[in-house]
Amino acid sequence: MNRKTIIFIICLSLAVFSSLSSGQDLLINNGTVLTVTKGTILNGDVLILNGIIKKIGKDLKAPEGIKIVDATGKYVMPGIIDSHTHIALTGTNETGNAITPEVNMRDVLHAESTSIYTALSGGVTMVHTMHGSANPIGGENIVLKMKWGKTSEEMIVPEAYRTLKFALGENPKRANSFIIGTPRYPQSRMGVNAIIRREFLKAKNYMEQWDRYLKAKKSKKPAKNIIPLRKDLQMEQLADMMRGKMVARVHSYRADETLEFINLSKEFGFKIACFEHISEAFKITKELAKEGIGISIFLDSWAYKVEASEGIAYNAAYCTKKGILVSINSDSGERIRRLFNDAAKSMKYGDLSADEALKLITINPAIQLGVEKIAGSLEVGKHGDVAIFNEHPLSAYTVCQMTIIEGEIYFDRAQYLREREEMEKNKKEEEKKKGGKK
Amino acid sequence: MRTQKISFIVSALAAIFLLVLVSSARVGPTYAIVNCKIVPVSGSPVENGVIIIRDGLIESLGAQDKVAIPMDAEVIPADGLYAYPGLIDAHTNFFVEPPKEEPGQRTAAAMAAQPEEKNWAQDVNQMAFDLLKPKKTSVDSLHMAGVTTVLVAAEKGIYAGQGALLNVNGEKAEAMVLKNPVALHINFTTERGRYPSSLMGTVAFLRQSFLDASHYSTHKSLFASSSRGLKRPEYDPYLEALCPFAVEKKPVFFNCANLEDIKRASRLIREYKLKGFITGANEAWRVADVVKELGVPLLVSLDFKPPFTSIYVNQGEEMKKKAEEEIYPANAANLHKQGVRFALTSLGLKRSSDMVKNMQKAIKAGLPREEALKAMTIVPAQLLGVADILGSLEPGKIANIILTSGEIFGEKTKVERVFVDGISFKVKPPPKKAQPTTLNLTGKWKATISGPMGEMEGTLDIQQEANAISGTISSDMGQWDITDGVISGKELSFTISATIMDETIELVFSGTAEQDSLEGTISFEGGSAELKATRIPERSSQRRGL
Amino acid sequence: MTRKTCASLIVVVFCFSFGLSLDKSPGVIAIKGAKIIPVVGEDIERGTILIKDGRIEDIGQNVSIPQDAEVYDAQGLVAYPGMIDSYCYLGLQEIGAVRATVDSRETGQFNPQVKAVEALWPDSMHVPIARSNGITTAVVVCTGGLVSGQVGMIRLTGWTPEEMVIKSSVAMHIQFPSVPRIRRREAQPQEQTSKKIEELKELLNEVRYYQKRKEAAQNNPRLPLPEFDEKLEFLIPVVNSELPVLISVYADKDIKAAIQFVKDEKLKAIFFGVTDGWKVAEEIKKSGIPVVYGSLYAMPSEWDDGYDAFYRNPAVLAKAGVVFSFSSQSASLAKDLPYHAAKAAAFGLDKREALKGVTIYPAQIFGVDDSLGSLEKGKVANIVLADGDILELSTNIKRVFIDGKEMDLSNRYTQLLERYKKRH
Repeated sequence: MNRKTIIFIICLSLAVFSSLSSGQDLLINNGTVLTVTKGTILNGDVLILNGIIKKIGKDLKAPEGIKIVDATGKYVMPGIIDSHTHIALTGTNETGNAITPEVNMRDVLHAESTSIYTALSGGVTMVHTMHGSANPIGGENIVLKMKWGKTSEEMIVPEAYRTLKFALGENPKRANSFIIGTPRYPQSRMGVNAIIRREFLKAKNYMEQWDRYLKAKKSKKPAKNIIPLRKDLQMEQLADMMRGKMVARVHSYRADETLEFINLSKEFGFKIACFEHISEAFKITKELAKEGIGISIFLDSWAYKVEASEGIAYNAAYCTKKGILVSINSDSGERIRRLFNDAAKSMKYGDLSADEALKLITINPAIQLGVEKIAGSLEVGKHGDVAIFNEHPLSAYTVCQMTIIEGEIYFDRAQYLREREEMEKNKKEEEKKKGGKK
Repeated sequence: MRTQKISFIVSALAAIFLLVLVSSARVGPTYAIVNCKIVPVSGSPVENGVIIIRDGLIESLGAQDKVAIPMDAEVIPADGLYAYPGLIDAHTNFFVEPPKEEPGQRTAAAMAAQPEEKNWAQDVNQMAFDLLKPKKTSVDSLHMAGVTTVLVAAEKGIYAGQGALLNVNGEKAEAMVLKNPVALHINFTTERGRYPSSLMGTVAFLRQSFLDASHYSTHKSLFASSSRGLKRPEYDPYLEALCPFAVEKKPVFFNCANLEDIKRASRLIREYKLKGFITGANEAWRVADVVKELGVPLLVSLDFKPPFTSIYVNQGEEMKKKAEEEIYPANAANLHKQGVRFALTSLGLKRSSDMVKNMQKAIKAGLPREEALKAMTIVPAQLLGVADILGSLEPGKIANIILTSGEIFGEKTKVERVFVDGISFKVKPPPKKAQPTTLNLTGKWKATISGPMGEMEGTLDIQQEANAISGTISSDMGQWDITDGVISGKELSFTISATIMDETIELVFSGTAEQDSLEGTISFEGGSAELKATRIPERSSQRRGL
Repeated sequence: MTRKTCASLIVVVFCFSFGLSLDKSPGVIAIKGAKIIPVVGEDIERGTILIKDGRIEDIGQNVSIPQDAEVYDAQGLVAYPGMIDSYCYLGLQEIGAVRATVDSRETGQFNPQVKAVEALWPDSMHVPIARSNGITTAVVVCTGGLVSGQVGMIRLTGWTPEEMVIKSSVAMHIQFPSVPRIRRREAQPQEQTSKKIEELKELLNEVRYYQKRKEAAQNNPRLPLPEFDEKLEFLIPVVNSELPVLISVYADKDIKAAIQFVKDEKLKAIFFGVTDGWKVAEEIKKSGIPVVYGSLYAMPSEWDDGYDAFYRNPAVLAKAGVVFSFSSQSASLAKDLPYHAAKAAAFGLDKREALKGVTIYPAQIFGVDDSLGSLEKGKVANIVLADGDILELSTNIKRVFIDGKEMDLSNRYTQLLERYKKRH
């Protein structure tokens, strides 16, 4: 090994360590370990050192003094990943314009939002929090770990893909809003498609102009009348999509608008990571599987608007069986608490196995977000993101007991119950005092 | 005879010269403040001190035996009093009245047609100076709080215009100006009904604007240096307005309501290399490391109301109370502990008396008194670049001095006299403490005002909170605000800010009230009138809403 | 005729008449070999249920099956009573955002005259979906205003509304005036709320007076008959305690006020919602008023209540002895009724109590427990055969019987799925 390689390795290791400088040590002992990708271990242990899973097995030896979580009688699974939410943000949509790729969720993080705690109470360790669906082209989204109590920077997951939000159908055409005054273009699905195409055509033109400008500047005899080009943040975002630096996450419901968008993506050469909600995915499994595009959907929330009226509960299971990468999301600060209940329903509506059902909320969303190397399953080398349940997570009777991120316990139901007891006791005493005074 | 003529001419010339000198600025007589404890801030305190004020400046100051009292000085005995530099409130919205928008206007405009293009240049170029409406009551309350210099800016808008630094020496705007403009004020707020209508939009909008301003300026300079063959830049008033800040790096104040705002401001200041100031910042202690690293001037508000985003606000009532009463008041103390330099302001507080109260709370929470004093004298002077003329008691500096009955910010301390630009102001005693009352005057009242100009009918809409009265009075002449209202037992007093033909005059009401009726006298400059009002009973609602 | 021909003739006639009798209306159905959970009484490990004329003819471990019975082998399956949803919009809402498809809400404050069942759309796609998950009966509700209207009970099958309706009016729905949570000026909202309650009380007094005058006029033809007043007329059964009121109430202060209101007005009452019930469990128990829980899938508004406040609520109230039942509070998610019960069980409610909360308890609360809510001899044959615990998420419902008739379990979901399976 030459000197350069050694330095490179040192730098790499430093990078790894610094990226997890906050990781802690933890031993989870004697639980039913549901790795999701590598089977189930009864009476299994998970050893996390410095926030990374070091070993998974039985009767593991751990360093002295390590914090131990007794998981006897409990179920240990990877931390749940919700790949479509709007939590932990100040604001959801920029409705002032129909096209807003220049806005970025990173600018409006709200690390003190109690929705983060709510997510933890449902075993969720990571979320993809997004711009809303009011615009055909929305803003850039971001992936966060639910590190309640830490700063917003500490929550950002740098490994995730950059994603841009797109929306098709009733929401961007404002079909269900009460309109005062002149309606905003577009007001139809054809307008939504056309406006997205227009923006990409503009972006192509922008990229070409910059190419020419840079070439002209670099040339041996640069012309005197070269005006510097204006940097346009909107166009830069779309250019990044066409350069492959950012992928599309597309809110759509109907099969037809989905297919149209796939055509658009081919027209301009950008990648679609996922279609969101897409109630009618089961109608076009052929096309989705061929293009290798995943879906991120509700299990059975439907019929709240017309485009969701053909959304069947078999969607998730059927698409999985047809080879599509499916994740279940909540898109709600309330439903995020019960993603494991939703996943369980895929066993009833479509006969998925328990592991397949668990994948819908763990490794599948991880792959869709580009973080499968660090999360989504219990495997050595991945982050110590774990959720512990008192019953099998796919049982209706289960309750999340503990949520751990990188070896640190962020939610502990036992502690919560103790604190509640304290609070109730204090309240009673205060009331007694008040009663005594009277 | 010839020498007589010459001496006459010389003395006449001398007299004219003196006259010119004297009339070159609005200043008062020469003063000698004697026998006070001088706390100059820039040095150690002096017992039994004398301060000589001449031509609006501090001529000299020091121990009694070291400083001679000039023959033309008016002696002001200050036995038992403390002399401090007048306080500098480095960011407030006092005196600035935004043009009143018709309540229906904005929504009608939004509803009627495509929202017209927003005139951003107008917002950037709006000078606080042009909106100044110094009111006697505000001047008085500032003096009562010991404040002699204020930096005023408008309150609302992403761009809240450009602020002015004023000496609180009266009610004439021009005479008050020390520096105008000082900086551009930016709030992390949004537009309504048009882009940017969300916080994420505002940040992106600011980014693009700064980028565009630089680009515009580059194009302009290119064009200026060699125009032949070059496409000329298209005139853009907004970018023109922004260039001084984006390109020439004139100061920009970022009003940060919470810690994420501080981070947002920090990113913008870094990205576009702006000469930024962080203001508001009542959570600054929570991101002291960010602030330190950024290294820009920090102006911290004494408004302790926790922002709604705060973790202390959304975790139950007990925590919220603790935040308002203990945690946020300790902001300044915590910053000091972490070695962060800052000035203190009243931004967000509606009354100067609240500023004093909160300053006392901040000191109780652990901010050393000397630091508190510095934070409202020499530090803001330094941060605003006026430390050579303000911020401490030194010869040659402007005579902004306050004489207090005790140590500054003491619970019982009162400001007795205030000098601004060397002009003496005796401070009115604060209003009596209100007596408890059993009356609740909240509601609508039918009022009749009868005076020399005849009778006028109007409707009073009163809100009462404990002893404080506020609300509006509406009549054919418009709707006016009721301020400074106090109900003490049965005695009622309040001030009406009446705007008649663009002029605002203050009408002071004083009288008595019962649960359903009130009456008394309204006095104003040049006369008085009687006001009688009876309560309008609430209509009992329809039982069956068919 | 030879003896042989005679015999065969007799056999033929016998078979013929036997065959005819088979074609006749239901006959007897026997479900055999299932584990039976009757909900009232002991579980039966492996038993038989006999259905005749829409009712449970017999049920037990050793029930003899008549020769002509149609036999369903239910080995490996569990038989439950059909579930009862205590508050839903089935048949009244198709697509939430499209007002033309929503008939659960009338305009105005006082609408005692409207009946939810009179807006039923029997072809709603939500009914078969709920039915195929084991829900056989539901209380369909109208909302809005102060007095919303009469809620009714339906079976989840029928070609016309009449065929669906079990009881057109089971309760009068009232939205109890609630104290809005404004921080400042606490005094005012309380007063306004008390005013609204006073208005309600005055209205009920008017009803009583109206009734008295009517009676007086009936007894004495000389007295003038009071003019017909729709609003008062339909509230008469309420003030007579013949028709219970279903009171939607949520916050603890309001629950206490509602208890007082019911006591003062001497009404028969059922509470709905009661999300703060755990704070006033004793009071509710003392009042004897049963509670119908809405969807447990909502967020508590106060941090201090705890993230699981709505989940724990049923367990706390059950411990205090309050009678309760569950509801889906939905149309499109009516099929999730059992999972609300399971959620409550996860957070402390006894599992069997949770099951009762979707079977016998709603029947008792709405006064139909003589015919519904459990598998007992003589009751209506609403039976569900499941391949596991009916409250579990992964359980499949194999067969559903309503009024002794087997139901078609296909629904919108399965129809669309089958259709698109053909594409691939």
